[in-house]
Amino acid sequence: MAFSDPAFWRAGAVSTITVMSIVLIMLTIDSLAAISPGGSHVPPYTVINQHIDYKFDSNHGFDAPVIGAAEPLFGKTLDNAAAAELIDRGKMVIQSRACIDCHTFFGNGAYYAPDLTKAWLDPDWEGWQAVTGADTREGAMVKFLMDPEQYRTWTRGMPNLGITEPEAQAVVAYLKWMAAVDTNGFPPNFNQIEKQR
Amino acid sequence: MYRSQALAIKYFSAAMILFGVMTLFGLVSAYYYLNSDFLFGILPFNIAKIIHINTLVIWLLMGFMGSIYWFLPGELGRETAGIWAAEALFYVFCTAVAVVAVVFIFVQYGGSNEAALWFINQGRKYVEAPRWAALGIVVIMVVFAYNVIGTAVAARQTTGIITVLMIDLIPLILLYLIAFPAISNMSADLFWWWWLVHLWVEATWEVLIGCIMALALMQLLGTSRRIVETWLYIEVALVLGTGILGLGHHYFWIGTPSYWLTIGGFFSALEPLPLLGMVVHAVYDAGAQHMKTTNRPALYWMMAEAFGNFIGAGVWGFMITLPQVNLYAHGTQWTVSHGHFAFWGAYSCGVISVLYLVLQNTRNLAFVDGSLWKWSFAALNLGLVGMTGALLVSGFVQAFVERAIGGSTLNAFISGQENAWFVDGMVARFLLAIVFTGGYVVLVWDVLTLGRRAPAVATVAAAQ
Amino acid sequence: MSGLATLETGLLLGLYALLAGIWGILWALTQLRQAPIIGLLAAAAYGLHTLVALIIILWTPLGFGWKCLIVGSSLVFLALPPMTWRLLQRTHDYERSEHDRESSQHSRRLMARL
Repeated sequence: MAFSDPAFWRAGAVSTITVMSIVLIMLTIDSLAAISPGGSHVPPYTVINQHIDYKFDSNHGFDAPVIGAAEPLFGKTLDNAAAAELIDRGKMVIQSRACIDCHTFFGNGAYYAPDLTKAWLDPDWEGWQAVTGADTREGAMVKFLMDPEQYRTWTRGMPNLGITEPEAQAVVAYLKWMAAVDTNGFPPNFNQIEKQR
Repeated sequence: MYRSQALAIKYFSAAMILFGVMTLFGLVSAYYYLNSDFLFGILPFNIAKIIHINTLVIWLLMGFMGSIYWFLPGELGRETAGIWAAEALFYVFCTAVAVVAVVFIFVQYGGSNEAALWFINQGRKYVEAPRWAALGIVVIMVVFAYNVIGTAVAARQTTGIITVLMIDLIPLILLYLIAFPAISNMSADLFWWWWLVHLWVEATWEVLIGCIMALALMQLLGTSRRIVETWLYIEVALVLGTGILGLGHHYFWIGTPSYWLTIGGFFSALEPLPLLGMVVHAVYDAGAQHMKTTNRPALYWMMAEAFGNFIGAGVWGFMITLPQVNLYAHGTQWTVSHGHFAFWGAYSCGVISVLYLVLQNTRNLAFVDGSLWKWSFAALNLGLVGMTGALLVSGFVQAFVERAIGGSTLNAFISGQENAWFVDGMVARFLLAIVFTGGYVVLVWDVLTLGRRAPAVATVAAAQ
Repeated sequence: MSGLATLETGLLLGLYALLAGIWGILWALTQLRQAPIIGLLAAAAYGLHTLVALIIILWTPLGFGWKCLIVGSSLVFLALPPMTWRLLQRTHDYERSEHDRESSQHSRRLMARL
């Protein structure tokens, strides 16, 4: 009887794994195109030169990033190469300081500190401009990152990670780029409640 | 005793020590939630967490390796090939783990440069170990694979279980190479990172523990080889059949196309089905033996493996795997609840079961029982399930307050964290973590004293 | 989906899977114990599982396709324990019959030599 024969199930395992793996590889190839900067879901790094927003998209039924008019970061419009360099450095800071082991990025990471997917769009930065004496949102973010212990947001503080000014600028650029990634609506309702208030 | 088996004992000893380190740093991480000024400026949360999750991975890997080194000579009828290399590398492995941990604790971070990634901290979850250590792990795993494959070649024979193991080790090792690159694009980084993490814990590791459980069952219950092999193939087919595309449940929100919502949600919703099969199988085996065995802790821990895997990975995962629910539950303590229960049920219980099988042999015990193992079994499982329940409460609240009501802003995050139910859940989690820790201490005490305690060991007659 | 609906759907899905597991365990126990009470409890567990499935289908805002998945999974959960048990018995019986066949062959050879 075939069902009692291990060879029957061995063949089943081999064929199942083969089929599933082929499908996975095909979908991976398709997805990699979509998630490359400039792909369908991930903007080019030069998006940091523009205004980013996050609004409900009725076509898809979830929130989606909206790329707007020119809004240079730190007052400078960067070309592809310069933007890529800034993003590369931003990611190196994020890795070297293990940010993902306190925070989440696209909801992945650790849950001790806030999710940073749309941190660039957080309404709180407006208030932090006054506290830090910065002229712009990005200025406030840089000041915070360079000395989070001085600008504690609440009782659970972020430690000083020795982030230099160029590093902080790179991280801010990274967060602005991340806010423009189409995450199929995560996080839901971001800032909608605040806007309604 | 084969040298391979002596090495297995060393690996199990190291695994038990790392289990303790994992538990200690778990306690520390849990305590920060109750008192965020604890060790502030000295040992940040992320460092404590890094040590907690990295020792989790390493203690389990060492447990797997110990199990294979233990069973392999008996399976293939000869000493493990290249055992001298494995013996030397064991000490290299332990030293590397210690060095990495010391650097994590005392150096913590470097600058935003390659040197920091090579020598201090790579900053990608579960694979934070610096590249030099990651390279070491690759070497150790390649030698491990050689030990397995080389022994089969030298013996000029293999078994179904060992063949499955050999084939499984290839993707397992290749996937680990994803621990090396630093990809700037976070979407791409996480895309590949999930190939490593998911295809380890929900694919290749499942096959690996399946092989180990098959080998253990033959020894524990005298189950025939043909039967365990048949069921191993069934398990591999079903677990990988659902788990390979179930990888898509990590691709909902990282910037990937939206077809992953359907594909990932569908296949991962099927993942509990084979796990129920395993539970039924466990009841069958228990019934066939009338729960009589010469090694009660090994049998009970194996039952805990089957049940814990289904409930922790299957049920808890099923709660949050559909994208509609996951949109709100993602990145909250709900995930943590699932993660703790799943790792415990799917892997930890199985490794502890094999540990007791090994001990029966090394301490020359005809019958393994006593009261200590029961206390540790109760405390560890109740502690873990209790933590899971507490984290579920906190996770619920966080999903509701932070994501649904608050819209996931900084203020929403703070509201969630300060919510009374959330805080109570984290307090309960910490208290149950202490219970778990107590269970660990008793486990170690039992392991150290088993067969060495007065009165004299029970005879074979008592086993009947 | 509203936040509360999410929480409730997640809870229901967990309960759905848990009850399927309890059904499977109790069904397997009925094969071992032959006690009517266990059979009744098993049926009750599956009954509750079906009830939860019904609540998910009628009351949660999941889409049509996902509700079909719930129905399909419930049917698989129903069949899985008996199928698994039968396969276990078949593999073990096959093993026993092979062992008996080899034993009787061994006895015949022994008799032939005497």
